[in-house]
Amino acid sequence: MTSSTSDDNSVLLVHAYLDGELDPANALEIAQRIRTDPALAAEGERVKALQQLIRERLPREVAPPGLRARIEASVGGQRRVSERPSWRALAASIALTAVVASSSTWLLIGPPPESTTADSLVSDHIRALMAPQPIDVASSDRHTVKPWFNGRIPESPRVVDLAKQDFPLVGGRLDVVGRDPCPTLVYRHEKHLISLTEMPAGSGLDLARTPRTINGYNVVHWTDNGVSYWAISDLAASKLEDFARLFRTSPAES
Amino acid sequence: MAQVQCVPQRGGDEIGFTNYGQDVAAMKSDKPSLRLAASATPNNIGSLDDNARFAQVVMPYIDDAYRLAHWLTGNSSDAEDVVQDASLRAFRAIRGYAGGSARAWLLSIVRNTAYSWLRKNRPTAVVTVDDLEAIELMQANPGDPDLETPETTLLAQIDAERLRAAIATLPAPFRETLVLRDIEGLDYREIAQTTEVPIGTVMSRLARARHRLTVTLGGKSHD
Repeated sequence: MTSSTSDDNSVLLVHAYLDGELDPANALEIAQRIRTDPALAAEGERVKALQQLIRERLPREVAPPGLRARIEASVGGQRRVSERPSWRALAASIALTAVVASSSTWLLIGPPPESTTADSLVSDHIRALMAPQPIDVASSDRHTVKPWFNGRIPESPRVVDLAKQDFPLVGGRLDVVGRDPCPTLVYRHEKHLISLTEMPAGSGLDLARTPRTINGYNVVHWTDNGVSYWAISDLAASKLEDFARLFRTSPAES
Repeated sequence: MAQVQCVPQRGGDEIGFTNYGQDVAAMKSDKPSLRLAASATPNNIGSLDDNARFAQVVMPYIDDAYRLAHWLTGNSSDAEDVVQDASLRAFRAIRGYAGGSARAWLLSIVRNTAYSWLRKNRPTAVVTVDDLEAIELMQANPGDPDLETPETTLLAQIDAERLRAAIATLPAPFRETLVLRDIEGLDYREIAQTTEVPIGTVMSRLARARHRLTVTLGGKSHD
């Protein structure tokens, strides 16, 4: 210990400060001490350099393809045990077998050639990017976008305002999946557009074998309250997942 | 001194507030006040059936679960087994999830699953907490300028493989804390929840983990 000011506790505070964990009063105090104590300043520089190194050099791994499908299959198996045997259970087990069979086949021979929901939506996204306007209704106001859907489809989509989180709403359009029109919201992050499509949650077959990327576009899919959501963008996967998380946790329009 | 502020941070990427009562009580009173981020709670979690809960609470965090399992077990096939086993445990325990950070809830199950897996399959690789106390006692003060720490410019030249290897050789309690903070981006409170230790312990382990890593990386290269 060479300096009486840089005790153990102060070092922990420097770390907490750089991690954004201090309240404003403590942050101000430790920032002041970093300025006056070279040992604390050096510690701060090392932490920042290390964090930058980790952020920039370390590849961010994702779960291997097929892991999600295996998890859903094993959890589906759990559900089957708890239900009374019935035609429903039989149907579920057939569907489960189909999921397992199709996902393992997909692992062996690559994505199935037939068009899946995700493929179709990525095509819609690309087509929209090439069109003069990627949207049918251009507005950053959810009170304009939501009613636009009302006259066109039975249920208008969940619209969330994420402008403050740097994902402003750009507008909306209708995409057609299979033969069904599906509302698509278009959000923007920096220069990237995100197409977010809603549809009634289906059989779950698509979910089991949803690729994470198609033609370089990232695909994030989730289901909330019986509605299936597909977010497609050339945004980095982690950013797109941030967007999905924000969308899911933000309150819908009042 | 120990008042706690509940404010969203990091650009508001986490929304919703939960009750911090027990965490605040668990914090040492001599620790500085921490700004604690609120964690997202999936909507209407109480009204959903188990499968819908699982889809909301567990499935969004499979990548995070896999990364943690990979860092704890050290290889991808073990990590897959651990995540699959942990997911099943999470499904069985899904009624016990009572809000708060779903990610921290899942990661604590992944962590426990990984350690039981390691104890069973690689008993020599597990560092117990007693061993760790000894390590922490031997460990010099992280802020000690007499210790040889590399220049930050030297750090910038480290390649990914050496960085990965250096993190992999950290003792497990240091490694998990560093991974959860600097790779997974959890806040201190979530790390405390995941690793089942007080926030003060999270802070000291994190500082020591970073210090050890910096010293290892700054030492003589082995290639």
